[in-house]
Amino acid sequence: MNALYLAFAHLRWSWARSLLLVAVGAVILAVPLISQTLLRGSEAALTARAEATPLVLGSRGSRLDLAMSAVYFSPDRPDPVTMAALEAVWDTRLGLPIPLHTAFETGGARIVGTSIDYFEFRGVAPARGRIFGVLGEAVLGARVAERQGLGPGDTVISSPENLFDLDGVYPLELRVTGVLPPTGTPDDDVVFTDVKTAWVIAGIGHGHEDAIPAAEAEDGNVTADAALVEYTTITEANIDSFHFHGAPESYPLTAVIVVPDDARAGTILRGRYLDPGNPVQIVVPAEIVAGLVERIFRIATLLDAVTLVIGIAALAAMGLALFLSWRMRAPEMATAWRLGAGRGMIAALALAEIAILLGAAICLAAILVIAVQSHGDALVAWLLAL
Amino acid sequence: MIEIADLSFAYPVGRFRLAIPHLAVAEGARVAVVGPSGTGKTTLLNLVSGISRPERGDVTVAGQDLASLSERQRRMFRARNIGFVFQNFALLDYLTARENILYPCRVGPGLRLDRDVRDRAEDLARACGIAERLGTRPGALSQGEQQRVAICRALVTQPRLILADEATGNLDPATKTQILDLLFARAQDCGATILAVTHDHALLPRFDRVIDFADLGARP
Amino acid sequence: MRLDLILATFLAAGAAAAQERPVVAVVNYPLAYFAERLAGDGVQVLFDVPEDRDPALWRPMPNQIAAIQQADLVALNGAGYAGWTTRVSLPRARLVDTSAPFAGGYIPTETITHSHGADGAHSHTGMASHTWLDFEQAATQAVTLGGAMTRAMPDLAETVEANAGALAADLAALDARAAEVGRALDGRVIAATHPRYQYFARAYKLEIHALDWAAGEMPDAGQWAALEALVDETGADLLIWEAAPPDAARARVASMGLDDAVLPPLAHRPAEGDFLSAMQAGLDDLARAAAP
Repeated sequence: MNALYLAFAHLRWSWARSLLLVAVGAVILAVPLISQTLLRGSEAALTARAEATPLVLGSRGSRLDLAMSAVYFSPDRPDPVTMAALEAVWDTRLGLPIPLHTAFETGGARIVGTSIDYFEFRGVAPARGRIFGVLGEAVLGARVAERQGLGPGDTVISSPENLFDLDGVYPLELRVTGVLPPTGTPDDDVVFTDVKTAWVIAGIGHGHEDAIPAAEAEDGNVTADAALVEYTTITEANIDSFHFHGAPESYPLTAVIVVPDDARAGTILRGRYLDPGNPVQIVVPAEIVAGLVERIFRIATLLDAVTLVIGIAALAAMGLALFLSWRMRAPEMATAWRLGAGRGMIAALALAEIAILLGAAICLAAILVIAVQSHGDALVAWLLAL
Repeated sequence: MIEIADLSFAYPVGRFRLAIPHLAVAEGARVAVVGPSGTGKTTLLNLVSGISRPERGDVTVAGQDLASLSERQRRMFRARNIGFVFQNFALLDYLTARENILYPCRVGPGLRLDRDVRDRAEDLARACGIAERLGTRPGALSQGEQQRVAICRALVTQPRLILADEATGNLDPATKTQILDLLFARAQDCGATILAVTHDHALLPRFDRVIDFADLGARP
Repeated sequence: MRLDLILATFLAAGAAAAQERPVVAVVNYPLAYFAERLAGDGVQVLFDVPEDRDPALWRPMPNQIAAIQQADLVALNGAGYAGWTTRVSLPRARLVDTSAPFAGGYIPTETITHSHGADGAHSHTGMASHTWLDFEQAATQAVTLGGAMTRAMPDLAETVEANAGALAADLAALDARAAEVGRALDGRVIAATHPRYQYFARAYKLEIHALDWAAGEMPDAGQWAALEALVDETGADLLIWEAAPPDAARARVASMGLDDAVLPPLAHRPAEGDFLSAMQAGLDDLARAAAP
């Protein structure tokens, strides 16, 4: 006890050195654990998400870009496909195609235009409010809602920028109808809306200032002049004037998630898109992510080696610091010896100091590791969203 | 208190040799040890405290023949019976004056740091005029205050013998006499014998007895 | 966390199924009738359009949208019928467009043109949407609906299969009767109070010109003038009412020398009878009017 008391008093007296040693020790201990936690977490999150997304259909090109944009809503830009590709899957009756349109953003969060099937497919329902019902409504991912302090009844406005470089993109006010629960997946960081609403942002659908009376619109020949403006807000009053131009099968999608009815249907579907001449391809996200994860882990091995070397160097530096500190206490030990202290007591004095430093470093490292682990899902999701 | 007979000591390296045919110090005496540098004054203190062992001869302190004790027993004997006052005070920077005074009870074998010891430390500090400075670290104390703390530390274990090695060497003349008087007074309070190495001949009249190593037969 | 949620959803769905019949949301009465005929009491048909609103132009309120989104099957008429279905988020997995098999045969209507600023003028091609008045098309819609119900509600597959034959036979009989009436009307020029009968006219080889009158109301002076102009222009000698008009209106039509008949398009549930009996009554009335 006396040795601990004296060691603690000495460490407190030289607090700056002690804190530095504890911090360095904690970092040496925590960094490999944290990097392992995040790596394993990333791997698990990437893999789980990819495995939960059976097939992704999109334009032929980078398979990685396609998978990443459809599964993680990454800003990668696969060329758009059209609704015709989705309809083609639908017509096979082999699975459920879920549209994804991820060209737009609002306040730094990606707007994911999809169908409400997406939520059933992912097994999530709003924690607050309800799913979007009509054009112009949106459901927020948990972290978007938290970060921007938004909930049902609030509005967000889409950014004028877009990934497809489309002309005629006007900011659209989206009404928040619901907020999803936190899922630890990229769903937390996006704003969901109906794909038709995304098309309104893209300028494919629009309304008119002088909402045409329904009866007239139905069978009259309505001629409007150039004074008509595109709406930036879809309201109860003007929603009936919203309509879409061009053939529906030509409307763009970033990708299509395909949920085959069974394994056999999945195999048949994949087979249909193998022809390299087909401008549309189907990828299996789990396969692509497995390849990606393998690459990440090869890099991680290198990282581990670097961490090891740095750790050894840092440990040596810590050892030197402790040794010098011990040398500085040599006169004290001489005095203690004169006062009757034996070798055991003197060793206890030295070891108590190391023990306290080590204990504090372990505690700090544990706090760091636990903090990272308890927020692991969120951290991993954040890292993956970078 | 101290009985030395037919003592002979040499360091493993070097030609120094200390031989003391006979030396006796009475209980409660205040004895000064003087002599030129290198004549073995500090070696004498080490032999009397059991830190060093003689090649030959007997050293008996407080009735205990040190040669008959094991290394551990000698340390325990030293912790319980002997107090030290050093020239450089040997206070620990990181402890307060109070904790420096209590230090021997923390590291000494077989000693306990209990309520009585703490009360005794307070009493000693009061008697030495440093009661107000107990919470202060050595770096913030004057040299005189530091040596008072060192005296309190030497006395806190209620030793029967106090060994002082140039205890006043670092002090100005006015402080020297004060500190020495203080040491004598406090030692008298607990009936301790004092064996003090000094170079300061002005202080010698205050001692009961002076042992001059020039006369003792020590040979470099 | 996710697993819990999915499990809870499954359990809730299971509990709901134990207590409630599967829901089929439809956009008009003919589809409601087909669903009821095919599944009997096995399903609950969700058709919430108020009596005084045209299902083609109606728009559901948010709570109604939520109910429709949760239906086990949402049956659309297709051909652009019920424009709200393009503005509301519906579950594609549970959506069926009953007229998709004959989508190539839709009848285009007059074109609506407008412009958007500097983009220049553009036009929307309208689509005649009362597809079921061609009873062969109605039969196809019933078959498509039956197939979707079988997939969405496998428990009802046997019931649907068992009932499909009778429904098909009834619709075939209706088709035959309509063809018979059509032959009786060969060479006649017909006016209709509302543009609902494009597919009826095409299927049964009739020449029908449409007015734009309100159903079941006394026409105003302008509407009478429009009828007179139509008669002068086309030589129409028979008027089809969408709904039974006031007696005075019928008398005035008679005074103009026109025969008349009530043939309800049945987008809404009839006050008496069902799709089959009401449509038979309409065809009978038309046959009566066709008789010399």
